[in-house]
Parts: sequence; structure tokens; C-alpha cells
Amino acid sequence: MRIISILISIWVISLGTFFCQADELEDLLTGFGDESTVVVGEDAGELDELLGGFDDTPGQQEVNVRDTPLLPPWLEIQGSMTLQLAAGFAHDTPEKDTPDYRGLSMLRTRGELIGDITLSTWQARVATRGFYDAAYSLGHRSDYTDKLLDEYEQELEITEAWIQTALGDSLDFKTGRQIVVWGKSDNLRITDILNPLDVRQPGMLDIRDLRLPMAMSKLDYYTGNWNLSTMVIHEPRFNKVPVYNGEFYPGNSAAPHTDEPSASMDNQQFAAALNGVFSGWDLSLYTAFVFDNQPHVEVTDTSGLVRQYSRIKMGGISADLALGNWLFKTEAAFLDGLNFFNVPEKDFSRLDFLLGLEYSGFTETSISIELANRHLFDFDSRLEELPDGQMRNLVQSALRVNRDFMHDTLHLMLLLSSYGVLGEDGAFQRYQVEYDLRDNIMVKGGLVFYQSGDVLAFQEIGDNDRLFFELEYRF
Amino acid sequence: MKLVFTLSKVSICPLRFRQLLSDHFVSVMQYTMALALIVSIITVVPPSAMAGDTARSIMEKVDARDDGDNMTADVEMILIDKNNHERRREMKIFTKDKGVDTLKIQFFLAPADVKDTGFLTVDYYAGEKDDDQWLYLPDLHKTKRIATSDKSSAFMGSDFSYADMTDRVLDEWTYKLLKEDKINGDKVWLIQSLPASKAVKDRYGYKKSILFVRQDIFLVARAIHLLNEGKKIKYMESKKIEHIDGIWVATERWMKTTVNKRTTHRTVLNWGNVKFNTPLEESYFSIRQLEKGFSR
Repeated sequence: MRIISILISIWVISLGTFFCQADELEDLLTGFGDESTVVVGEDAGELDELLGGFDDTPGQQEVNVRDTPLLPPWLEIQGSMTLQLAAGFAHDTPEKDTPDYRGLSMLRTRGELIGDITLSTWQARVATRGFYDAAYSLGHRSDYTDKLLDEYEQELEITEAWIQTALGDSLDFKTGRQIVVWGKSDNLRITDILNPLDVRQPGMLDIRDLRLPMAMSKLDYYTGNWNLSTMVIHEPRFNKVPVYNGEFYPGNSAAPHTDEPSASMDNQQFAAALNGVFSGWDLSLYTAFVFDNQPHVEVTDTSGLVRQYSRIKMGGISADLALGNWLFKTEAAFLDGLNFFNVPEKDFSRLDFLLGLEYSGFTETSISIELANRHLFDFDSRLEELPDGQMRNLVQSALRVNRDFMHDTLHLMLLLSSYGVLGEDGAFQRYQVEYDLRDNIMVKGGLVFYQSGDVLAFQEIGDNDRLFFELEYRF
Repeated sequence: MKLVFTLSKVSICPLRFRQLLSDHFVSVMQYTMALALIVSIITVVPPSAMAGDTARSIMEKVDARDDGDNMTADVEMILIDKNNHERRREMKIFTKDKGVDTLKIQFFLAPADVKDTGFLTVDYYAGEKDDDQWLYLPDLHKTKRIATSDKSSAFMGSDFSYADMTDRVLDEWTYKLLKEDKINGDKVWLIQSLPASKAVKDRYGYKKSILFVRQDIFLVARAIHLLNEGKKIKYMESKKIEHIDGIWVATERWMKTTVNKRTTHRTVLNWGNVKFNTPLEESYFSIRQLEKGFSR
């Protein structure tokens, strides 16, 4: 009888455990929200009751009827229309006969149109972009110079225009106006020296508009994990920088005339990269013989003071390593042939070095931090004086945090970028919220704070803090 | 299957059982009661080890199921929020087996803000080895390596996580057969799947899954995933299963996320134009192709 008692006890406990598990399971099963589940065995009635009370049955999905395409399959058109507003809120009342930067600083309508053609192994793209900024017409237009209005009020340009084809299994050729990005870092440029930047309004520009394409011919050879990329840059093109009379222009007098090299045979630029892609890590080696993107002032016999661009030689390396949720990045570039106004008799060389770290372990979040140092060899204290304004060591850092919410509908971004260990040489902070109203319509808004510093581009920009808003339709 | 087999064994047992019992129990009543109790216990509580073995063998068959090679497909993803607002994503997907590993390249075609974005993955079967992932961002004109061993993040803002888009590693989970059931007339096994370690639990973001395995084709037709965080539960359902080029494919999959039984978001994944055994070279799964993009 003892055995019978034990067996009865086990039976009772087992039944209890079973029904607890069964309850939890049936509870979960109801989540499908339909009535297609047929339970074999007991508890069917209980489940039916639960299903009846679960009023969450998704409707039948609509059949997505596609319109007949207007364009032939070899042609694709895409583009965007954007309304951009920005307003400064930190400026004091200006002195007499100086521009008033308070209030609305941008009321820009921006358009972009991209056409892609694909025929067999041939691909081609033509892209154009333009804007008109009504803020100048609405404000004190007469306060601004013609040069400033030329640069900031309207613009229309061919951004990309290239043709590409495969020459066999291992060779690709691409020629025309294009963008080539070097390096592994996302925020600071160390080896990414080829395409110039639009830095007329630091911290304000959309990433799409930041790099300026150049006409070049590029030949890529692929073998195994390696790619050798060689290019000849036909078009000398340089950074778009703030102009005199503008809010971000450092100084009170106009810069000397700039003597830009023409697109001649003598001014062809050359570059090559060897890229390796491996399991867990990537490696790239670079070399280039190009124009320095930063002009220096020279005294010429004919024109007096002129800003000119030196030829520089560059050798560089970049690598990244993925370990779990961490991505380690490093870059180094040695630049030789730098020239400056205050020490004209000498060519200088510089070593730029970067360490970066990115973490993607938090939900829908990416955090990246990058730290760089630019060391000028054989530094001469005269280089600290204007117009050079150089430092022996220039420390630069960037912190970027991105987080997506609401199933990728709401995006937050924080970017802190600074020169100097604690930002004493200049900094800006950008706080941005972006919300997708529809698949093709998004709104963006935020704040940018500036901090003045010793770096030339950041001198006296501390009052340029601004609020921005953007409405964009993409098609 | 094993549960049925066990019961049939019990049904032929009484003769031997009686012989054994007769030495100890004289009463026929006692024998009858003991027999009834043992049958009840075996019926309602299958031995966990036995259920585990059965579940494991079923999951081995699921894992070994031919899921095709050299596949191309057009994928449409519809994201539906709790107010029934829809957003649509379209992409072209190519996959190729490389031993036990899988090469995958995806090109996003719509909407416009993600168009031309490409995603290249080398999905290593060995769970402890992180996948290689590169993302081509057309706005930056740059390919960027993505380091994440965490597969619990949402795939393109959907209710599917990156883990849901890849095959699970068999040995990283423990299995238990819960019961048999039917879905739309098809018999299924309900298999509880628990992460074998905390690392697996963290990586996938699930503390428990219940998988509904079709008995005829060894395909997971439904799944319930209990998330590590809060009281979130995700329900996956294959609404449409097709036999394409000899391979069973879930061509319409739904996933919804619930919190306290309230649906917070849903995703519909439609696979169209699915083809297997297409002439895909391994070199296609490269950064070279990622940057060139997909041409219609």
C-alpha cells in the first residue's frame, strides 16, 4: 500500500505540474490570434474560450498591386526635394555696417535628381543637385557681398557623372565624376584625403552633400581577398570653405585670391589602394600624389599674396577588427610636402594617427568614439602665427551616438566633435531627431552648438549656435 | 512520435507486468490500481529525457531539411504599427552555401531613403564565431564593417530580428517535446527550445521559444519567442508555404510583437520570385558586388 500511496502522490504532483505547463502553453498559443489551431486532446474548450476573447486577429493582407513601370528596366530615376530651415539664436546685436546673423539663417529649397542606366555589364550615373536659399532675400541682402551671395544663395551642379564596366572577371573600370572614400573611421578624416569637402557651414551639412565628387579614372583588380585600386584624378577640386562676410569666416579681412590649378596634364593626380577583406578584420594600404586640400599663402612677383595648393605625397594604412559587439579601428597617414606662409623655405611632413572604437551591443544603438592626433614634424614656432595657425600636435576627437526607436521610425543622433583634449581648440555638438512620417517623407530637427577655439576654422564661431529643421521627400 | 511509441509499449506490457507484480501483490485490485496509475503518469508526464531525445531528433531533421542552395528572391517587408500604418521595404536577396556556412547578399530597393544600400553577410554555422557583415551606405559612398555578435536587434526595423533571418545552431539550444497539434489540418510537433547558455540567450534575445514543426515536411510553421526583456512575446507564422524547385519555402511569414497580449507591431515578409540552383558564383558575395549594387 505504501507503494500505491507514493504512486498516487507522484500522480497528483505530476498532474498539477502538467496542467500548469499546459496553462502557460495554451496561453501562449492564443497569441496567434486566429482559430486555425486545433488542439488534440484535453483543454480544447478552455483554449477556444481564450481565443474568443482575443480580439487581435490580423486582417488578410492586401494584395500589393504594382503599377506598370513608367521607365524601361535599364533606366532608374531617383531624387529628393528638401526644405531646410535654420536660425541662429546666440548672436548679439551686430555693430553698425556688419551683417546681422540673428534669426533666420537658412530657408533653403534643395533638389536632387539621379539617373542610373544599366546595360549588360555597363553602368552609368548622372546626378545633379541644386538649392536656392530665400533667407538672404528675406533678410538684409544688402549686408552681404556678391561673393557670399554667389556661394550661399543658390547653387546648381553636376555632382556625379560616371560610366563603369567590367573588363573581364577581375577588372573593373570607372571613369567620370565620382567619390572615392578611403579609411575605416566614420567621423574623422585621416586617410580619406581624395575628395574635397563642403565645409562652408561646419556641422550643418547632410552627409550626402559633404563630399565633393571629382573627375577621375579608376581601375580595380580583384584577386581572392584582395583588391588593388588605382586611379588618376583629372580634376583638381578643393574644399568649399566659408567666404569673407559669412558667419563662419574666421577673421575680419578677405583672404587673398586663390590660384587653383587647372585640369591640365601637368596637374593629374595619382592614387592607389590595396584593400584586403578577411574574416573578422580588414586592412587597407594607400598611397597618393595629390594636391593638398588646404591652401597656403604665398608671395608671388606678379599678384602679391596668393593662396596656392601644394602637391603632397601620402602613404597610409587603415584596419579594423571586429570582436563581438566591438569594432576596433585604426588609421595612419604620413603626408609629405606641406607648405606654409611663415616658413616658405621648407617643406613639412605630418603624421596623422587615429584610434577608434565602436560598440553595437545596446539595443538599436551604435556608439563610436574616435581620437586622432596630427603631428607636424620639425615644427617651427612661426607656424603658429597667422595665416598658417598650425600646431605641433593637433588633437581631434569625435563621439557619435545613434539610436533607433519605434521600429526604425524615430532616429536620435548625437555628435560631439572637438579639437584639443577638452575642446579648447574648437568644438561643435549636434543633437538631431529624425522621424519618418511616411516611407518617403521625413522630418528632421535639432540643435548645433559651437565653441570657439584656436583652430583657424573655429575662431569666433561660438555665437553661431543654431536650431535647424528639415522636411524631405524622396522618390 | 516517441510519445506514441511509448504508449504502445505500455499497452503490450500487462502480461509481464502481472507476472512481476504477482510475487508482491495478491490483490487484483491493487494490481489494477497500480497499472492505472503508472499508465496515467506515463501518459501525462512523458519522461523529460525521453521527450528531449525525441525533440532533439525532430530538430535534427529540421536542421537537415534541404533548404536549397544558390537562391535568389524578391522580398517585400511590410511593417505595420499598432495604428495599422504601413511602411514597405523591398529587397533582393541572394544566398549561397559555403560548406556549413551561408553567404548572403541583400540589396535594398525601396523605399528611396534606403535604396542602393547593400548588406553582405557570411553567416558562420559555428555559433561561437561571429558572422562577418559589411554594409554599403550609398549616401556615404562607403562600405562599413558591422561588428555585432548580438543577433537580437531588429532587422530593418521589423519584428524579425537578425537571428530570425538565419538558421539556428542546433547545439546551442535544448529541446523538449511538449505536445502534438494541428495547424490548418497539418500535424505539428510543439517543441520547446531553451538557450543552452546565457551567452546564447543574450545573443538571440530569447529566453524560450516554442517551435511548431510540420510533421510532413520538417519545417517550422509557427514559433512563439519569449524575449528576455519585459513581457514581450513574438509570434511567427508561416501563412503561405510553397514547394519551389523541390524545396519547401515559407513565402509569406508574419511576425507580431505583443506586450501583455496587446499587439504593438506586426511585420509581413513576402518572398516572391524565389529560385534555387541559380548560377551564383562565390565571387558574387563580395564587397565588389555590394558596391556595384543590384541591377534589375
